[in-house]
Amino acid sequence: MAKSLYENYKNFPKTDCGYCGNTSCITMLRRFCSGELPLSECIYFRAGLYNVNEFSCSPPVPRGTQKPSISYIRPCPTDADRISVEVSLLPPEGSKYGYFDMITLDNIFNHAVPGLRISPSLGIARLESEWGDVMGFSEGRVLIRRASNESSAFWQLSRFVRSLWAAVS
Amino acid sequence: MLDTESIRKDFPFLRQGCIYLDSTATSLTPEPVLNKMLEYYREYRANIERGIYKAAQIATDAFEGARAEIARLINAKPEEIILVRNTSEGINLVASGQGLKKGDRVVTTILEHHSNFIVWLRARKRVGAEVKVVMSDGEGFLDLSDFERAINGRTRLVAVTHTSNVLGVRPPVKEIVKMAHDKGALVLVDGAQSVPHTKVDVKALGCDFLAFSGHKMCGPTGAGALYIREDLQEKIEPLCIGGGTIEDVGIDHYRLRQGPSRYEAGTPAIAEVIGMGAAASYLMEIGMPNIAAHDASLTKKVLEGLQEVPSLTLYGPKDPRKRAGIFSFNLGRFHPHDLAVALDAAAGVMVRSGHHCALPLHKHILKLDSGTVRASVYLYNTEQDVEVLLSALSEISKTML
Ligand SMILES: Cc1ncc(COP(=O)(O)O)c(C=O)c1O
Ligand code: SF4
Repeated sequence: MAKSLYENYKNFPKTDCGYCGNTSCITMLRRFCSGELPLSECIYFRAGLYNVNEFSCSPPVPRGTQKPSISYIRPCPTDADRISVEVSLLPPEGSKYGYFDMITLDNIFNHAVPGLRISPSLGIARLESEWGDVMGFSEGRVLIRRASNESSAFWQLSRFVRSLWAAVS
Repeated sequence: MLDTESIRKDFPFLRQGCIYLDSTATSLTPEPVLNKMLEYYREYRANIERGIYKAAQIATDAFEGARAEIARLINAKPEEIILVRNTSEGINLVASGQGLKKGDRVVTTILEHHSNFIVWLRARKRVGAEVKVVMSDGEGFLDLSDFERAINGRTRLVAVTHTSNVLGVRPPVKEIVKMAHDKGALVLVDGAQSVPHTKVDVKALGCDFLAFSGHKMCGPTGAGALYIREDLQEKIEPLCIGGGTIEDVGIDHYRLRQGPSRYEAGTPAIAEVIGMGAAASYLMEIGMPNIAAHDASLTKKVLEGLQEVPSLTLYGPKDPRKRAGIFSFNLGRFHPHDLAVALDAAAGVMVRSGHHCALPLHKHILKLDSGTVRASVYLYNTEQDVEVLLSALSEISKTML
């Protein structure tokens, strides 16, 4: 079964040695996923230390199958005074890795923003704050929970997307 | 041991490759049950106990056959099975039909699902019944001596769960029944979480009422059962009356029937009841002891694994022999809903989050306002499902706390 970029990266050499001619392992992995390069470019794979068959990428999501939209606005299941909002953002034209690139995001922030946690292996970012929690998923889904009302939820959404702009792929 | 591989083929929902760990909320439905329900709609779609033509006879036989299978599942007589919508309706039937009066006492526990809790609070509000809530310790264990004190001469009913839907603990129902009967009280057992997973024998248990839901035992939604011991049926008033419940009606009188149909007003959920009967047969075919053993082996694995996840707090007993395959936990400061969303997004694992319809337990025993995440296992879950859950939790713990 094809795995996400993150699941593949989890088991990658991650040395960033550059022998393959790429600036980092993640660049190599991306070019493999988009069909540009075989994994045998990497010295570790060539030496047989990693097994090519354990890596496979899902084909990139073609633009247009997803629509940017508000998926729902609902009361929080356990806190009727608060609301949850989920939106789907559209990956930019030509993007092969969904909306948010969590690996880049992790490299930029790496625990530097209070309340922001990024898991490149799971493809999830979570920003905790007193106005509600926001979770972003690599494919572009953003979920705002425990917001006090709609305008606060959308303010949270814009704050989240603004902080993560550098990682929009 | 169960042949999980072949069992999984019966459940079309699993073909999507998801990992379903929320059978405590509702279980999946296998093909034989789905087919049995469709067969009714396609081949003998008629009302029951009314028509004299052939299809109506077939429908009546299928419906009554389902009642007999449901009875066999818990070792009751078919006449002792009242077909209702779910556990909640069964409990409400007992609550309203028992004719509680001011000063009557009902004893229940802090472990209960809202469905076996607020009905008693309503009886207090409506008729002035007295409600005594037996508390548990931090892991959910109940002390029999608390029941000894709580059940007095005015106690009409003890309403207790057979398995907690949050902590997985299994209260000593048999001992409670004996104690209650000695003091002249009746016992209602909430079997929503026990009947689907273990061999429940009402005769051995000795309880007076047992409520359970079809949708938690591989049946469809909309059908459940209430066992009422045969000799008590005269004394319990139906919740609804109308067509199908009467023996005779005149211009100024009516007389209710004997037997379960006195409780079953109007056209029931025919296909769903037939489906629930098929689910009972399905489970008995596989064997309740086998299902219980399968649950127990996964329980051991989950318990061991969860305790190794950094920052994870597990609630309820740590001894696998003392609990069912229901696990509530929290991970660091992660809100339970966010954790459930993360498990779904990252690993396709479906778990429940929140207070699981047991607010008193969360408030008074666990002291948790926002609830817990709950994973639960059933006959179609595999060791691999458990491994995916555990590895996703570890990864979340490592990267997101
Ligand atoms: C212990 C317990 N009792 C009662 C219920 C209510 O069941 P139903 O929703 O089928 O009425 C549940 C369901 O979650 C339960 O777990
Ligand atoms: S050669 Fe392999 S380990 Fe080195 S940077 Fe390239 S992909 Fe990474």
